[in-house]
Amino acid sequence: MTEVKQLKSDPTPLHLIIEKRKKRFYILLTLFFGLVQLLWVGVPIVMAVMWSLVDPANPWSFPDMFPPSISPHQWQYVFKYTNIARALKTSYAIAPIAVVLSFILSLPTAYVMGRKNIPGKKIFMLVVLLPIIMPGMVVALFLSRVFTSFGLSQSFFGLVLAHTLMGIPYMIRVLTTSFQAIPQDVIDAAENLGATTFVKIKDIFLPMIRPGLLAGMIFAFTASIEEFNLTFIIGTPTFETIPTILFSFMGYNFIRTNASVVALIMMTPNIIMLFIVERFLKSDYLAASLGKM
Amino acid sequence: MKKNKGLLGSYLLLIPGVGFILLFIGSSIFITVAQSFGLFSITGHSSLTLENWKTILSMQESIDSLLFSLKMGVLSSIGTIVVAFPIALYFRKGGVGKGMLGSIIKIPLFIPALVAAFLIVNLLSFHGLINSLLLALRIIKEPLRMLNDRFGWGIVLIQIWKNLPFVLLIVMASIASIRDDTIDAAKNLGAGYWSILLRIYIPLAMPGILVSMILMFIKAFGDFPIFSVAGPVYPTSLSVRMHLMATLHQEWDKAAVIGVIIFVTTFIVIWLYSRLGELVEGDES
Repeated sequence: MTEVKQLKSDPTPLHLIIEKRKKRFYILLTLFFGLVQLLWVGVPIVMAVMWSLVDPANPWSFPDMFPPSISPHQWQYVFKYTNIARALKTSYAIAPIAVVLSFILSLPTAYVMGRKNIPGKKIFMLVVLLPIIMPGMVVALFLSRVFTSFGLSQSFFGLVLAHTLMGIPYMIRVLTTSFQAIPQDVIDAAENLGATTFVKIKDIFLPMIRPGLLAGMIFAFTASIEEFNLTFIIGTPTFETIPTILFSFMGYNFIRTNASVVALIMMTPNIIMLFIVERFLKSDYLAASLGKM
Repeated sequence: MKKNKGLLGSYLLLIPGVGFILLFIGSSIFITVAQSFGLFSITGHSSLTLENWKTILSMQESIDSLLFSLKMGVLSSIGTIVVAFPIALYFRKGGVGKGMLGSIIKIPLFIPALVAAFLIVNLLSFHGLINSLLLALRIIKEPLRMLNDRFGWGIVLIQIWKNLPFVLLIVMASIASIRDDTIDAAKNLGAGYWSILLRIYIPLAMPGILVSMILMFIKAFGDFPIFSVAGPVYPTSLSVRMHLMATLHQEWDKAAVIGVIIFVTTFIVIWLYSRLGELVEGDES
């Protein structure tokens, strides 16, 4: 009843009121989503930060919601008494090499997949995804037998090859989508004007796949940084990367404070990278490259 | 003749990428299968035998592990899509601050699985944040056991947290390809919210939903690190069981049997997906 009365006295037409309410509803919805997302992502990270700052003199135990006092002691401890510095070095030494190697190996394949019509393309596209799809631990365990017989396990080169294997699928998929997006007209025009293969590569293909290349590099890089299964089986104990160090703090001897430090060391560069490259990293790259099998 | 030559060249260009993958993954699959039948054994002599299969399949632990891994795969993939779909719908509409929210929600994508497991463990543990909050609010009297629990809720939650952005990106792309005209037409013809959701959004986004569910299932099914951090003592997931068998008991041949079981399940799921995909696409035309 009241609704009707209000409508009569109010000169604003009904559809505008509904529009306004809808708008208000969307703003509320956005605020709600924002809050939930902040909690969803923020709380776990804040908890890790708090755990990494716990003062061993004043332990943080059950009824307290926050650590009673904070100190940098855990950070000093981890850098002093664990192999984290070396693991960081190993991780960030392997990743760039693996990225470059996977780019070089992916480029010709992606070119064929993106620009040529060959029989069996669908199957090849599925094969490319195998390293991501296949259960990591099984592949790692039995690939280690192969690596051992070639003398590749417990070696830096072996680890690079393993990380390359994990990066290639992203690289090929993303580059394939980029190659597909190049208009044939441009290539035809260049050919008409007498461009050689070299010129075509230098002036058409490479510049036009650059955004995709960047996305692919980021995916391959993060894949390498977080690669655990293969490194754990093939690399330890000779080589430790950040994930395997973290695992050692979380397995048989669970040390929450040390694990927090390592977890933060591991994810901070990744998050920073995400925000820097956000504008290049259009979501459609991942979706376009993995949205079909 | 010239065409054939071009084709050969194309295949040659595939070798660095596809060949590299086939060399490593193929040899790994080959070794797994061969060892499960007792060939290429590294301990003792090699001979073709079904003994390992018999032993593994007759163990109750193996069946429990298989069921547990299947359960984790199914629950994780359903859970993630249920959380991701409404968010994807919300992002389609857009609104204030969408870009910022979009970046925030993508953060877990760049957080390694192990770190994600650790972050969520902090919340779920016996005296973790969630239990503390619930106790403080007097909703529960005793802390809940959410970690290393027999059912595996801890694992499911970690999988959802870590893989939400990944699924979200795929589902968002397939929702974005739905044209506004279609929605407007349905509205014009008097379709309500529910029928738009059930008859337009979900069917048209089905390819994306299927792919993300399949990928999620495979990830959660074969997972090793998340289980070993947050999983129950018994039953263990197949991967963890296989790893223990190979490294702790040095029974590589038996571990290979479990490996083959994981591979076969993965391939069956992918095959089912491709059949389903054909069905979905067939409906469209």
